Amino acid sequence: MLDILSLLDITFFLLAALGALVGIIFGAIPGMTATMAVAVCLPLTYALGLNHGLALLLGLYVGGISGGMVPAVLLNIPGTPSSITTTFDGFPMAQKGEGERALRVCVVASVIGGLISAIVLFLFAPLLAEFSIKFSYVEKFLIILLALTVIASMSRNMLVGIFSGVIGIWLSLIGTYSISDGGNGKTRLMFDFLEPYLFEGFSLLPVLIGIFGIATILLEAEEGIKSGLASQNIKFGKGGGFSFGIFRGRLTNLVRSSFIGTFVGMLPGVGGSAASVLAYTQEKNLSRDSSEMGKGAPQGLMASESANNALTGGALIPLLSLGIPGDSTTAVLIGAFTLQGIQVGPLFIPENADTWYVMMTALVFANIVMFFLMFYAIKHIAKVVLVPKYILYPIIVMMCVVGAYAINYGIMFDVWTLLIFGVLGYLIQKVGLEVAPLIIGFILGGQAEVYFVKSLESAGSYGIFFTKSPIALVLWGLIAASVIFSVVMGLKSQAKRQVEAS
Amino acid sequence: MSMPSIIKTLGTSVMVAGMAFGSSAVAADAQLPGNVRVVIGSTSTGGDTYQNSSIVADGLAEHLDINMKVDAVGASSAFRFLDRDPRGNTLMIFHDQSYLGHLYGVQGYDDIFEKYTIGPTVAINPGNAYLVPKDSPYQTLNDVIEAVGNGEEVRVAIQPGGVSEIGFSALKNAISIEHPGMEDNLVAVNTGSQADKNQQLFNDQADMINGTVQANEQYTRLPEDDQKAMRFLWLTARQGTIEQAPEDGLGQTSREQLLQYVAPNVSVPMGNGDDFTFDKEFFFLYNKDMDQAIVDQIDQALTEIYDEGEIQQTQKTSFFIPNFKPSDEAAEYLETKMSVYEDIITNIQ
Repeated sequence: MLDILSLLDITFFLLAALGALVGIIFGAIPGMTATMAVAVCLPLTYALGLNHGLALLLGLYVGGISGGMVPAVLLNIPGTPSSITTTFDGFPMAQKGEGERALRVCVVASVIGGLISAIVLFLFAPLLAEFSIKFSYVEKFLIILLALTVIASMSRNMLVGIFSGVIGIWLSLIGTYSISDGGNGKTRLMFDFLEPYLFEGFSLLPVLIGIFGIATILLEAEEGIKSGLASQNIKFGKGGGFSFGIFRGRLTNLVRSSFIGTFVGMLPGVGGSAASVLAYTQEKNLSRDSSEMGKGAPQGLMASESANNALTGGALIPLLSLGIPGDSTTAVLIGAFTLQGIQVGPLFIPENADTWYVMMTALVFANIVMFFLMFYAIKHIAKVVLVPKYILYPIIVMMCVVGAYAINYGIMFDVWTLLIFGVLGYLIQKVGLEVAPLIIGFILGGQAEVYFVKSLESAGSYGIFFTKSPIALVLWGLIAASVIFSVVMGLKSQAKRQVEAS
Repeated sequence: MSMPSIIKTLGTSVMVAGMAFGSSAVAADAQLPGNVRVVIGSTSTGGDTYQNSSIVADGLAEHLDINMKVDAVGASSAFRFLDRDPRGNTLMIFHDQSYLGHLYGVQGYDDIFEKYTIGPTVAINPGNAYLVPKDSPYQTLNDVIEAVGNGEEVRVAIQPGGVSEIGFSALKNAISIEHPGMEDNLVAVNTGSQADKNQQLFNDQADMINGTVQANEQYTRLPEDDQKAMRFLWLTARQGTIEQAPEDGLGQTSREQLLQYVAPNVSVPMGNGDDFTFDKEFFFLYNKDMDQAIVDQIDQALTEIYDEGEIQQTQKTSFFIPNFKPSDEAAEYLETKMSVYEDIITNIQ
């Protein structure tokens, strides 16, 4: 044990803290992600050595995931894909002048999610890894399907919502259908002349920023210059109306969402955005009163943010106990080990106990630093909304364009994607379609198809979806419950509207 | 700023100034610009391509006193970046996948020998392997060949269209030679990443998988009753390649143990009296219009770096086998190599 203490010097903690700070900045800039932050700093691990390198990278990881909440709440732009559900309640709160309060709720939820997942990682990593390999294509497909059911319960008008979701799924299928994924390796759903650009389909992040960020800016621009949020409407200072009392009775939500985040994180190949979407749905379905969700309810923020920070510990589970990264950021992180010539696999933890404790220390410390940095800096950050929009918005558009260009190391078509989807996002709101279901369909559609086809390919019959395992049956139960709940809620609100109308 | 870096910066400035001054007069003396981007054919920063490219790029950058940055952009993007840049600001490092993809007819892969200039080879990753579950009935690769020959279906998880498939194709070819007509019993289960392939084995969806020594060695050390435990059956590398690996091998599997799994101990006949072998080799690819002077400059620099001998140590520590060949030699060598695999792929079609 003393050996480990000798590895933890002041530089170690400074690097973890620096990582968290830089990560937050990366996460907060639309178009920059935790994955990018880790990728950019990866070569530094050569110079820093393994332990110091890991401190920096884990700090970046935690900070990057957390930073995404800032633009999500204040500008309706998810800074990272996993903060998409944060926009649902965060932005309405910001519009009501409660941006600072919303951000503080997010920060507290984030640190809780991060710490719970770190504890789970520390205590149960090998055990959970064992469990995670029981999830074959069938179970992964059902998890995605469960996340997709959120479309029904989230939309204002169920039919329109589902229609928007289907459009999103359709958009996600554009590109090559890789032979590794059971396809024929040919491009589809496009004209021949588009092949050089759409070979790999639309990139997620430019689509996301376009459809949320650029579209929001276009909608605001349409209204012309007006005073908007005058500063007197915004609650600043004294926590901006925030008190820890807001978490009273929300413990179940926080713990449940953290576990969902950890769990989704540890399933390789199920993207991070599914975590916050699932946590959000479950809160919507299971909480006593979810009528305010989507209109600015702190409980939605808690679900979303605790789940997406819990991803960090979760995604490290398969990385450290199977050698398989759980998400895109840990896929980059694995480079820190290979560059140092360290094998990650089922024997990593027993054979590298020192590194393991060092990583846990860095992870927990980064979460704590993230909390203090953000909790106390937030009242300054939240003032972004006071910047006049004719100054703020051009700056955001510029950052979005730079971010979109950089996301795949310099592809100009990603910038066009950003602008196309910006205009599209504006238009679909004008014709009455719903953005959130569309984007969730877009994020999850590709994975749903791959796992569906691969399940059929390996089993040869539709029966496999029901007979594969007890886990599959449990997931079907959850899917059924989620659908029934949405239908009942839909009917209720329809009846309520009719009563109000008459 | 430390002294060496000041000198480095000064040196670069002088170099840049010199270039500006003399550029029109001596165009033939073109050289690598001060900032070079090395794109690789993989999107993974945890993989062997990134690792090996970093070692080589670092060595070159230091030797030539320029900046080099490795970007894991993936094959189709990397080819596109390279197409656009004849100035030498973008170089590519990739491996045999670059021509195997074309042989297998994967979209996005052209004939690299026609479309690009082949640069020097730098190293081999000797780890390409085939594994079975530890409790598998197949003790040797020959057991697999015999079983398939006797009409048993054996499913092999591979990533189609390249390095991961070539061993499978060779095995299929060997079966068609030894047991004509039975080769269709060797079935490919197409998957993507290593994680997917492992998962196929855990879920009993495959009887054998393609893997690597690096990624799967720890799994071979798990106890037999562990669902995840695996066993090597075959390494496709040449015996001479593995013999150059460090004596300790990788993890706790020694070079001696690894040698059990290569030809001629494991035999996959090609039909011409030779056994099939495959070394995954890393090499540079350049834009066809890039100045020959830059090609020569990189050859020259790498020759000097390999003469110093330090880079070989770094490569070996990371379980790569150094294999430097200047560009002319490399192009000829790789073209010959390709024709062997072309025959195998045509045979089984």
